[in-house]
Amino acid sequence: MSGSIGKPTPFIDAVQKVTGQAMYADDYRMPNMLYVSFFRSTESHAKISKLDISEAESYPGVCAVAIGKDIPISFGVLPISPDENAIAVEKVRYKGEIVAAVAAETIKAAREAVEKIKVVYEPIKAFFDPKDSLEVCAPEEQIHSHTKNGKNIHKTAELRFNEPEKELEIAKNKQSGFFKFAGVTHAFTEPHSTLAIWNRDDTLTVISATQVPFYLHKNISKVLGIPLHKIQVKKPTLGGGFGGKSDPFPHEIITAYLAKKTKRPVKCTFSREEVFITHHGRHPTELSMSVSCDDDGIITALDTDIIIDGGAYGSFGVVTSYYNGVLLQGPYKINKFGFRTRRTYTNKHQCGAMRGHGAVNPRYAVEVLLDMMAQSLNMDPCDLRNKNFLPENTLTVGEFRITSNGVRECLEAVRRKSDWDNRYGKLPFGRGLGVACGFFISGSALPIIWNRYPQTVVHAKLDFDGRIVMFSGASDIGQGSDTLLVQIAAEELGISMEYVQVETADTKITPVDLGSYSSRVTFMVGNAAKTATTKVREEMAKAISKEKDVTAENLIFNNCRIHTKDKSIDLSWEEGVEIALAGRGAFVESGYYISPKLGGDFKGSGAGLSPAYSFGAFISEVDVNPNTGAVIVTKVWGAHDCGKALNPLSVEGQIEGSIHMGLGQAISEEMRYHNGQQINANFFDYRIPSSLDTPDMDITIIESNDAEGPYGAKEAGEGPIHPVLPSIGNAIYDAVGIRMMELPITPEKVLSKMKENA
Amino acid sequence: MDYYHTPSTVDEALTIAGKLSGNYTFFAGGTDIQNYRKQQLDTNEYVIDLSEIEELDSITIVDGALHLGAMTTLDKIVSSDEIQNHYPIIAEAAKTVATPVLRKTATIGGNLLVTNRCTFYNQSQEWRDGVGSCLRDVGDICQVTGGKNDCYSRNVSDTATALIVLGAEITLMTPNGIIQKSLKDIYLPCGIKFHDLEERCILTQISVPIEPKKWWYKKLRLRKTLDFTSLTVAATIDTAGIARVCLNGVSMSPILIEKPLKELTLEGLISIARKNCKTVDNDLMPLKYRREMINVYLKEWWKSFR
Ligand SMILES: Cc1cc2nc3c(=O)[nH]c(=O)nc-3n(C[C@H](O)[C@H](O)[C@H](O)COP(=O)(O)OP(=O)(O)OC[C@H]3O[C@@H](n4cnc5c(N)ncnc54)[C@H](O)[C@@H]3O)c2cc1C
Ligand code: SF4
Repeated sequence: MSGSIGKPTPFIDAVQKVTGQAMYADDYRMPNMLYVSFFRSTESHAKISKLDISEAESYPGVCAVAIGKDIPISFGVLPISPDENAIAVEKVRYKGEIVAAVAAETIKAAREAVEKIKVVYEPIKAFFDPKDSLEVCAPEEQIHSHTKNGKNIHKTAELRFNEPEKELEIAKNKQSGFFKFAGVTHAFTEPHSTLAIWNRDDTLTVISATQVPFYLHKNISKVLGIPLHKIQVKKPTLGGGFGGKSDPFPHEIITAYLAKKTKRPVKCTFSREEVFITHHGRHPTELSMSVSCDDDGIITALDTDIIIDGGAYGSFGVVTSYYNGVLLQGPYKINKFGFRTRRTYTNKHQCGAMRGHGAVNPRYAVEVLLDMMAQSLNMDPCDLRNKNFLPENTLTVGEFRITSNGVRECLEAVRRKSDWDNRYGKLPFGRGLGVACGFFISGSALPIIWNRYPQTVVHAKLDFDGRIVMFSGASDIGQGSDTLLVQIAAEELGISMEYVQVETADTKITPVDLGSYSSRVTFMVGNAAKTATTKVREEMAKAISKEKDVTAENLIFNNCRIHTKDKSIDLSWEEGVEIALAGRGAFVESGYYISPKLGGDFKGSGAGLSPAYSFGAFISEVDVNPNTGAVIVTKVWGAHDCGKALNPLSVEGQIEGSIHMGLGQAISEEMRYHNGQQINANFFDYRIPSSLDTPDMDITIIESNDAEGPYGAKEAGEGPIHPVLPSIGNAIYDAVGIRMMELPITPEKVLSKMKENA
Repeated sequence: MDYYHTPSTVDEALTIAGKLSGNYTFFAGGTDIQNYRKQQLDTNEYVIDLSEIEELDSITIVDGALHLGAMTTLDKIVSSDEIQNHYPIIAEAAKTVATPVLRKTATIGGNLLVTNRCTFYNQSQEWRDGVGSCLRDVGDICQVTGGKNDCYSRNVSDTATALIVLGAEITLMTPNGIIQKSLKDIYLPCGIKFHDLEERCILTQISVPIEPKKWWYKKLRLRKTLDFTSLTVAATIDTAGIARVCLNGVSMSPILIEKPLKELTLEGLISIARKNCKTVDNDLMPLKYRREMINVYLKEWWKSFR
């Protein structure tokens, strides 16, 4: 490859970002702009019996006040569970839910007016523990009236193959455990922010910090009744998402509504506390799981029963419920397999998708159980895993199509680099090594909103200036998809990256992409971009071959030149462009990606289907202080099979980020509540590991060259997080002989486990 | 900004304060008090910023004593050779406060007078409205104990813990003149009024006699930086064999235990400490664990010189 594909490439917006020039949503300002402030519920679960906004409406500077019944149509990212209103209608379901919104000339006036709003609540019994939500309650206590059997269960997802329960009943070698996981949140840097502009032609422009402009576009249309063709959603530079900006949000819809109502630009930007309240993070989870093996350590069955605490609304919850189970089908071959996940509604902040969506917590459980199994069979944990890996080009029990698979190479790499064979089980008391593996989807094969379109379309335009402009709906949320588009165009056309520019994530200008979630962008957008730019090259070659009388196939595009092998024809890029545009002018080529048809034909077969899966293996080393219970993760060796690293710098960054994020969930981060109110809704008390707490990292990229991925690429943004947590848990066992079944692994838990063990 | 004053001398600061009848807040580095203003816990109208008073920014050794100007930043203290040579425990303690960036602005005076903390109090206005406020704010019960009389907010000053076991004295300037007292005496065992300071008084200097002492210092926190203390223990043994052990972060004020070493047993020490610390569940680390760590830390100190 002659271009930058496969070479460490700094992101095209890196300088803008570090010099403060990049424009984030809150940086956009308009003349006559209004500011929004929200009146939020102080009750967890209550009927709104009286709401008086009259004083706020007449407060100086106030232009509009919105309440629930102004925008009564419900919505949600999944069309199957549109259970949320932009503003609470009739009742509130969590502390912090928006009850009214004020738009005023200044943020100060908006905030002061909010204080003038009066409300009377009639409290209803609140549910904070998901187990309580599994029980039958009085009809008026139901959090949502649509849940069945008088319970507060949002979704039950269950799949079983080949009766695992029977195998587990008779299994000689069985490991079971009950695990508990606190909720964690994305903690991205940039708070949510939205600017909505009502244009003179009665169209709406929304500039928002979102990972999913397309779904936001659709939901604004649905809730506000504005035709799809009159809406434009633009994603500016984004300061991180991790799944926390992948829903259409109430504040976005409210801001749009207020712009429509006042016919003025309206801006809303959250405080950090509001970001925490909005949440949509990883579900608190309780699960029991059993795994069995034969005497050789071959896994014979896995069964698990999972309860996830969804909070007040649905969000991605139906998908999360399935992912908790189905993503246990790899990286090991398991033929007798079953799970049940129940997602409950509770009166807390709503949970949704977060990096590693749905699969992180059960992954912890299975990897710990396998470690226990290895111990009981007197087998090295790496060897046990090695015996069970799925091969390449196979189907899992639930008919996931596995194509390329580099998990063996991953495990081999970390095992060698960490000197596992000489050190595991042999370190002094207090120090230990642990291993774990994982896998993840490279994009969901099925769209969230059913349609007949491809998952993504990319346009590449060539014009007189010799510049290629890549038009794509892909949302660069910091993962580098803009850079990817440039790299691919430069690669296919043999030009340097400076000839390529992007127009992205604007639903009026760019062809639709479904969004940045489920690790789909590199695979899907990458393929579409490659097709589009290949077509541009072919068009150019066709024109040149005609004019210069050579066969198109003999033309080489390289180093900003277009030439034949013998250089009898040797054109500069600009000369080539002139020939290509002669008589026709600027042209656009289009590429798209549609996933092949995959999966079985049973109910629930669609969950977790992906055109390719990434794999990984991690080993962590820890230092446990037996007096205080403090755990220090000193080193992590991570190997990830991303198919092909189109930009190794960015793949490494993703793996390092995953280690840091996984470490946080493993040892310090936790959404903590007091009577349904989060007590650590700030960066003081929500304890993200600092740079000092972050271990040394040794990253290995494994390239299995997937046949369907662009240049062989799969995903790297989410898969690397899964093995991190259990590798830490297993290392603690090696260090001090205790099994940590509850996250985060805080010092007091370690200490009390050690006492139990003594 | 007519609400914001920047005097360049202590006298000027006191004069300005005199005109504002209590409706003002002193800013040193502002790294602590800014949070209280943002969360509407400090609603005074005026700010008197002390950062331009150069006379308060100094590290000197005079007559065998170390003198620290109250406005000296923690960063300077951490990197001062004098302090590292004579009192590494002060440098060590200062290094455990906040983060490197904050320590460039945070002052030693501000750290000694850092505001007491509680999980249920250090929250936004909306948050406090959500739980129904508490005694220390506008409510009528303690959210932690349910009691109606006492507040148990925690003193979290890390440098106070170290300076108390060094027997530090402080100098305060008031409109009525200079006051000198022992540092430990400005702390009150009360979660609401936790500093025994006259109205309109400025802490100007901290002084510590230089004499050889064995020292020990440790701070309990989840992360290696940034976190406020869940328990800080500092201890010294001087040449006369007097042991001074100070515990902080576990009560309304720093708890000092001072005894000739030969009269102390580990069990006795633990029992005095546990009795004197009014520890309640108002920190993110669980109460039981923090109590247990009192034993662990004291034991560790005890072993350090045995
Ligand atoms: C992220 C973060 C982490 C932190 N971690 C810690 C920590 O680990 N340990 C810790 O102890 N603190 C911590 N703090 C709080 C604070 O940063 C430190 O206590 C710092 O030393 C305070 O010094 P300052 O100069 O900024 O004080 P300021 O905030 O300016 O003042 C603190 C208080 O003292 C009063 N005051 C200050 N100087 C004088 C004076 N000379 N005379 C009279 N009154 C005065 C002020 O009126 C105010 O009430 C942290 C703060 C942040 C934001
Ligand atoms: S200890 Fe009680 S009274 Fe004091 S701040 Fe905390 S909740 Fe309020």
